[in-house]
Amino acid sequence: MSTMLEVRNLHTSYGRIPMLRDVNLDIAEGEVSCVLGANGSGKTTLVKAILNMVKADQGTMKLGGVCIDSWPTHKRVAEGVSLSGAAVGTFPKMTVETNLKMGAFYVNDAKILQDRLEEIYTSFPVLKDRLQQKAGTLSGGERTMLAIARAVINKPKLLILDEPSLGLAPIMVEEVFDIIQRLKKDKMTILLVEQNAAKALAVSSRGYVIQKGAIVFSGASDVLQKSEFVENPVM
Amino acid sequence: MTDKTGFSLKLKSDASQRLAVVLINVFIFALAYAILRAPAFVSLAFILLVIVGLLAADKYRIIAWVYDLFIRHKKLAFTVAFLCAMAMPLLFAPKSSQYIAHIAVMACIYSMVCLGLNFQMGSADMVNFAPAAFMGIGAYSMAVVTVNMGLSGWIGILAAIFFSCTAGLLIGLPTLRTKGYYLSLVTMALQLVFTQLIKNIPYFGGPNGITGVKSLSIGDFAFYKSYTLFGIKLAPHVPLFFFCLLILIFFIYIAMRVGVSHYGLSLNTIAQDEVAANCLGINCNRRKLFAFIIGSIFCGIGGALNAGLTSFVGPSDYTFARSLIFICMVILGGMDNPIGVVVGAFLLTVLTEKLREFADYAQLIYALVLVTVLIVRPAGLIPKRVRNYCALFNRKLRQLAEPAAPSVSEQTFQSEN
Repeated sequence: MSTMLEVRNLHTSYGRIPMLRDVNLDIAEGEVSCVLGANGSGKTTLVKAILNMVKADQGTMKLGGVCIDSWPTHKRVAEGVSLSGAAVGTFPKMTVETNLKMGAFYVNDAKILQDRLEEIYTSFPVLKDRLQQKAGTLSGGERTMLAIARAVINKPKLLILDEPSLGLAPIMVEEVFDIIQRLKKDKMTILLVEQNAAKALAVSSRGYVIQKGAIVFSGASDVLQKSEFVENPVM
Repeated sequence: MTDKTGFSLKLKSDASQRLAVVLINVFIFALAYAILRAPAFVSLAFILLVIVGLLAADKYRIIAWVYDLFIRHKKLAFTVAFLCAMAMPLLFAPKSSQYIAHIAVMACIYSMVCLGLNFQMGSADMVNFAPAAFMGIGAYSMAVVTVNMGLSGWIGILAAIFFSCTAGLLIGLPTLRTKGYYLSLVTMALQLVFTQLIKNIPYFGGPNGITGVKSLSIGDFAFYKSYTLFGIKLAPHVPLFFFCLLILIFFIYIAMRVGVSHYGLSLNTIAQDEVAANCLGINCNRRKLFAFIIGSIFCGIGGALNAGLTSFVGPSDYTFARSLIFICMVILGGMDNPIGVVVGAFLLTVLTEKLREFADYAQLIYALVLVTVLIVRPAGLIPKRVRNYCALFNRKLRQLAEPAAPSVSEQTFQSEN
C-alpha cells in the first residue's frame, strides 16, 4: 500500500517558541491513522502545518509522492487535502446548501456537483432537512456534521479531521464515529486527530502519540491500545 | 417554509404578474422623480417616507416578494426599468430644471462609487476608508489628461481606469497583510496622504485644483452642452446624464453578476471566516485584490465623470469627509446588495443637495437618519438576500437546482443569531 502523505523532519515554531520538533508521519492510502495528544501538545499545529497555515521551519512533505513544500494552502486543498475541525468554522450567514457547495469549490461541472450533493444527503441525512437554513442556526452537532460533509464533498485524497468529537454530546460523538467508520469503508484516507483515545483507536489502523510537539509513539493501533500512553491517561 | 405573518398577495396568472412588474417599476421611478423634483421640504418628507416605507416593507416581506417577482420576470423587469431610466433625462430636459439634472447626474456618479466600495465593504467586509481617494485619482487623471496635456476626454477615462486600477493594486497589496481595524486604518492613512499629496504638488494645481476640465464628446457632439430639441432648450446635462445612466446600469449588472458568481461568494466566505475560506481552497489574497481593483476602477470612472460634470477638480472634493459619506451611503442602503447601495446613494445625495440652503441643519438630519436606520435595522434599507449559488444567472445550474427555494432576507435570521 502506497503512502498518501509523507512528513519528514517537520519543525515549526511560534515566534521563538518551538512547537513541533522533528515530526515524521506516514499516512497509508485508504487507511485511517490517528494522532493522539493532550491539549497543547501540538495536534492542531501539526494539522495547520500540513495545510501550510503555519509555516514549517524545516522538513519536507509529500502528497502521493509529490513534494508539496512550496504550495500555498489553497493549492494543497485544490490538490486534495481537506480539513474539518475546530480551526475551520462553517459560514454562519450562509445556507447549509451554500456551505456544502463552497466545499466543492473546485467542481465546475453542475452535474457532478449535483451527484456529490446527493451522495452527501444520503450519508448525512441530518443536513438534508436543513438545506435552506443558515449554518449559524444549526446545533453544535449538526454544525460538526456540516463541517465534515463540506470536507468530504471535495472527494479529498486525504481527509484531516481535527477533533471532530470536541464539545459534542455522547450520542453525537457516536454518530460522528459512525460516519468515520463509513468513510473508512469507502477507502478514504483519513488522518484523525483526537483526544478521545479509545474511540479513535477503535476506528484507526495506525496511531501516533504526540507529546510536547514531538511524536513519542508510532505504530499499529492495537499495539498502541495496550501501551502505557493509553493505559495511563496522563499524557 | 410558509410564513403566515409575511406579505401574501398571490398573483396567479402570468399577465397579472407582468402587470405588477411594470407598475412597481413605474412607481419606483415616479417616486425617484418626485424626490428629485419636489422643493426641499416636500422632498425631505418623501425621502423619510421612502425610508420608513422600506423599513416597514421588509418587515412584511414585501421586498422579498418584489424581488422574487422581478427575478421571475427578469427580462420584462429589466426592459421596463431601462426604459424608465432612459426617460428620466428627458423629464429634466428643460433648461429651467438644470440644477435638478445636476443632482441626478451626481446621484448616478455617487452610486457608481458606492457600488465600487461595496465590493470591499459589503462583500469582503474590508472597510475601505479611501473611496474618495480612488475617485480623486480618477478625477485627477481626467483633469491632467484633458487640461495639462490637452487630449480628449476618452483618453482621460482610459487614464482614470488605468491609474485607479494601479492604485487599487498598490494599495491592496500592503493591506492584504492586515485585517479588520488595521486594514481600515491603513486605508484611512492613504486617504489622508492622498489629500495632502494633491494639495502640495504644483502640477496638480495645489489647493486650487485644476479648472476647465473638458467633458466627453463624440466628434462635435459634446456631452455637456445645451441642445435644442423640438423647440425646447435642454439642460446641458442631458447627454451626460444618458451616458452616466448607461454606465451605472452596466455597473449594477457587473456588481450583480459578480455577486452571484463564485467570486462574490468567495468574498462573502472571506468576510465570514477567512481561515475556513482558505481551507476550502480559496486563494484569499487574490480574491481580496480582485475586490480592491474592481472597486477602485468603479470609483475611478465615477471620479472621471465627476470631473467632467463640474469641470473642476480640487483636493477639497476628495477628502476623508467625502469618503465617510460614501460609507454612510453603503451602510444605509444595505451592504452587499447592489440595488440597496444605489438606493442609499440616491437618497443621501438628494438629501444633501436639497438641504444645501439649510446647510447648518443638514448634517443634523443626515446623522439622525443614519442613526435611526442603524438602530432599527443594521443591515440597511434593502438588506442583502440569502443567495443561491449561481442560481440567478447560470441557467444550467438553475435548472438543476431544486424548485425555487423560499427567499429569506438576511435580516430574518440575523435577529435570531
